[in-house]
Amino acid sequence: MGVLIAGILTLAIYSFLYRDNPFYRAAESWLIGLSIGYILVINWQKAVVGLLLVPLFQDGHLWLIIPLVLGLLMFSRFTGKSSWLSRIPIAFMIGTGAGVAIPAMLYARTLKQMSATVMPLWDEGGFNFEALVVMIGLIATLAYFYFSREHKGPMGKLAKLGTYFLMIFFGATFGYTVMSRMSTFIGRIDFLLTDFLHILS
Amino acid sequence: MNRLKIRWIIFAGLALVIIISYIIRIDLDTKPSPLVQKSYDYIESLPESTVVMFCFDHEASSLPEIKPIALAMLRHAIRKNLKIIGLSTFAEGTAIGYMLMTKTAQEYGREYGRDYVFLGFRPQHISVFLAMGESISHAFPLDYLGNRVDTIPMMRAVDNYDDIDMVISIADGDRTTQWVEYAGARYHQKIMGGITSAMITSYDPYLASGQLYSVVGGLVGAAEYEILLGTRAAGNRGILAQTSAHIYVIAMIIIGNIVYFRMRKGRG
Repeated sequence: MGVLIAGILTLAIYSFLYRDNPFYRAAESWLIGLSIGYILVINWQKAVVGLLLVPLFQDGHLWLIIPLVLGLLMFSRFTGKSSWLSRIPIAFMIGTGAGVAIPAMLYARTLKQMSATVMPLWDEGGFNFEALVVMIGLIATLAYFYFSREHKGPMGKLAKLGTYFLMIFFGATFGYTVMSRMSTFIGRIDFLLTDFLHILS
Repeated sequence: MNRLKIRWIIFAGLALVIIISYIIRIDLDTKPSPLVQKSYDYIESLPESTVVMFCFDHEASSLPEIKPIALAMLRHAIRKNLKIIGLSTFAEGTAIGYMLMTKTAQEYGREYGRDYVFLGFRPQHISVFLAMGESISHAFPLDYLGNRVDTIPMMRAVDNYDDIDMVISIADGDRTTQWVEYAGARYHQKIMGGITSAMITSYDPYLASGQLYSVVGGLVGAAEYEILLGTRAAGNRGILAQTSAHIYVIAMIIIGNIVYFRMRKGRG
């Protein structure tokens, strides 16, 4: 039964290729409704029940009253007079989030990435062509994003070279994205031909 | 010919090309790329009973691409008799991850709790990444089946990342990046990715800097991994269809450009 429903819904989704139609819209609504329902149930069971209600009321971890109160304060947004109380958990979330994220981002995304772009032009294997390409690409791309000076003369030429590097990146990304969409389509064809229609074993 | 009709012909042609090339079974001579080889060699080099973590960081929509990658890597790990901890940072990936792990473990007769464990899902993934650096059983007091994690035989020897050799993030978005940023940077955990094709270029900087050990990317990556494993499964079944689809798309781009330039010339 599940395979039958999945097959019909797959065909309903692909019917959009013809034009927007009620079958497509019904399938799309089902997908969104089911996804949200599933996510809500899982979150309720795993987060609220599993991490808060059971440890607090069954196991007696009384310190969990603090996150419970903070969580409940979020709902003060719906009241007029006491809506300011929601700023307390929001401030807590932003503060802890920033505290956790800033050192991690600074190290992993900035410092580590900067050090990775600095490569020796000559190493044990001789001249490092990759390092040269990275160096030119990096300087040219940064020149393109440097807007404090007009892109004229040598600066303009460097910035233009930067656009070529960017275009290569965007081209590669687009190519891979097409590849990914094709894979998804192939996966659905596989399902339709094997599980749904039993044409292939 | 009106635009809608042209679009119809192009889509119908693509569907036809993919269906025909999917039905025809030709084993293409797929050569593993250096990254897939590196991923395979690493798992191959691990001694028996080494603990690895598989994180199903994806949603159901990317399953056609994710499933062949996950199955190939899981089969390899289970065949090598590694101990596997599974979890998910997406609610939708939870049931998929459990299903894939159970299916693969059953193929090789592995036992739940002794050879593999599935921890399930916990929201707020960044706090999960950080909490597991301190204690996995604190981050996940119960597993997916409701067992207490500290009572599961396999988990008695596993406290935190120090006891896990590699985290393999099977992802369709940027979760693998967050593994690198939080578990990798902070706890020096080795991270490997099994990612969709669309995300490959996003991970290039992390591969170049060595923050990400290696990746198996897309259906092609899965096909290459299967070749190394000596089994031709879903990855290889789809690779001919994908190659044909690419040739078709390239042909359409060339034809489209010729038509465009001829029309422009005609208009003067």
